[in-house]
Amino acid sequence: MAVGPLSPEPEQSTGPRRPTDPFDAPAVVWRPISAKLATARRIVTGVMAAVLALLLLVPVLVTDLTWPAWGFLLLAGAYGWAWWLIGRQVSAWAYAERSEELLVRSGRLWRRIVVVPYGRLQYVDVEAGPLARAFGIASVQLHTASAGTDSRIPGLESTEAATLRDRLTERGQAQLAGL
Amino acid sequence: VTVESVPQAGRPGHAGEAGWQRVHPLTPAIRSWQALAVVGFFLARDLGEGWLGGDRSSPSVPVPGREVGLRVWLAGGGLIVLVLLAVLAFMALSWRMTRYRITADTLELRRGVLFRQHRLAQLDRLQAVDVSQPFLARLFGLARLTVEVAGAGASSIELAFLTETVAQDLRNRLLAGAAGLEFSGEVAPEAPEHYWLEVPLPRLVASILLSGSTAMLLVTSLGLVAVMVASGSLAAAAGIVPTALGIGGVLWSRFTRGFGFRVATSPDGLRLRHGLLETRTQTVPPGRVQAVRLSQPLLWRRLDWWQVEVNVAGYGTRRSDSSGSSETTLLPVGTRADALAVTAFVAPDLGVGAGEHPRVVVDAGLDDVGPGHGFVASPPAARWFDWISWRRNGFRVTRTVLLIRSGMMVRRLVMVPHARTQSLAVQQGPLQRRLGLASFALHSTPGPISPVAAHLDVAVAAELLEAQAERSRQARAAAGPERWMRGVGTARPDDSELRPSPPPGH
Repeated sequence: MAVGPLSPEPEQSTGPRRPTDPFDAPAVVWRPISAKLATARRIVTGVMAAVLALLLLVPVLVTDLTWPAWGFLLLAGAYGWAWWLIGRQVSAWAYAERSEELLVRSGRLWRRIVVVPYGRLQYVDVEAGPLARAFGIASVQLHTASAGTDSRIPGLESTEAATLRDRLTERGQAQLAGL
Repeated sequence: VTVESVPQAGRPGHAGEAGWQRVHPLTPAIRSWQALAVVGFFLARDLGEGWLGGDRSSPSVPVPGREVGLRVWLAGGGLIVLVLLAVLAFMALSWRMTRYRITADTLELRRGVLFRQHRLAQLDRLQAVDVSQPFLARLFGLARLTVEVAGAGASSIELAFLTETVAQDLRNRLLAGAAGLEFSGEVAPEAPEHYWLEVPLPRLVASILLSGSTAMLLVTSLGLVAVMVASGSLAAAAGIVPTALGIGGVLWSRFTRGFGFRVATSPDGLRLRHGLLETRTQTVPPGRVQAVRLSQPLLWRRLDWWQVEVNVAGYGTRRSDSSGSSETTLLPVGTRADALAVTAFVAPDLGVGAGEHPRVVVDAGLDDVGPGHGFVASPPAARWFDWISWRRNGFRVTRTVLLIRSGMMVRRLVMVPHARTQSLAVQQGPLQRRLGLASFALHSTPGPISPVAAHLDVAVAAELLEAQAERSRQARAAAGPERWMRGVGTARPDDSELRPSPPPGH
């Protein structure tokens, strides 16, 4: 339905196949992020669940009410759900390097894909908190002059993050455009 | 210092003292006039009470202990004078430490007494230059020069205060430097201005009276009057005061900012002058506008008036109130012809097909619903999200610009040149997924405009993402120079009507 306005030059229609799924760009290699991120996030969520469980323990021990015990079951269920959700979220996160753009996609329920041209690169952030460092992972983010560009790639192996950072800055310099 | 002597970019502390200028000596007084006025008021009152203290039967100065009271007063007064002197000394020192320097390529500012700052801006990165005059400064013939460079946070360089002539001369030099213009002599030539439209006062007032804020003020006032009549007490009247003050303040600031709004064109870019008490002259060089939006509130539709706003890197990070910041408004209100003429100057080439007239395409973007004139509208499934405006929401791609149209009540048309695309995104929530929809977003520099084509058909969004990435890639490769006068003649976009003409630098 949108053929006319989308390809102003009619001869372009004989080019590469037209994409139909915005979240899967044609002819690129999607690289997943490290599964260690899922482990790290599960640990953080686990610690929070443990704190909540300790708080629940107080009424169980002090009073002789029985209903707080159900809280443990609820908590266990919630943690199981979070476990599953984290796994799905982490496995949905991927990035791809095209010759002139970085593609980042994320989310299962709320899906999102960002296309960032290397020529628009202003700076690259590589971040790793204490837990991430213990797991040997880091996050890489490419910043442009727009505040809306959210191209964070969390959970890359530290070496992969460093090489990606170098590749990004190198390409950014090579293809630098003005604002 | 002459501009020919092209000193290299200054190294902090090493560049030598040549060429450093100070701002006007009255600066500290004007910057802190409110504080000075308060101190002066209390001082005068204390002095007055001191002088009259004996004659009045004031309870704070009992008659038997009059000498003690005088001593306390003297100590207090002395302390105040001391503090005042210290403040004055600090202000004088701070004035002494504030210096600036312009070379052919850079603008440098040094300031700070305890915490020193040396800021250096590359002129080819300059985004806009404003000369503004707060009311008090205007009385003294002084002006503030603000230079915007594209940076995160507070990246602008503010030179305040300078005499008007110095400010204007500096602006010309900065713009000449930013444009890469070669000139001889000490004074940069002022770019010839060509006045070309202004907002008449009655239209400005009418546009403010016909705005949503006024309607809100009326509705709340009527509601409160109804409550007062129904309850028979005046208690509800208290509720009206904060509302009226809040909305009235917004309307008043819109009036003072839009007062005397004039648009001129020059080779240095678009020049805007406006303001009632505080006046401002803005210069936005060509190619610095990242996105343009024309919008029309419901009540303006019969009159066919439009407002034009822009994203300019550097402006967007400033504070802005609910009615939008003053810097990003290119035209507070104007007829359709005015709005299109202003738009044509900042986005000179619409890049439509050979058989089309750009005016027809833009009119379709401003008025039409559904497909037509190359616009791709949202599919009927989008009515689950936008049950009124889904028929109007849509986009159109030309060779140079992406047009995004939206809004049934408040009509909007956003234009983003392909060469100004920062990054792209497509998003899809669970409900959109069920309905086969996805939203396309284009990331521009911070500002009032965030271009989004909401709830497109998912295949259309996919194709748009891919095609737009390719188009911005080509546009980047073909982008003109940052210094718009370097190596080109004096070719200027013809701004008399909305029609395609080569952008400056081509």
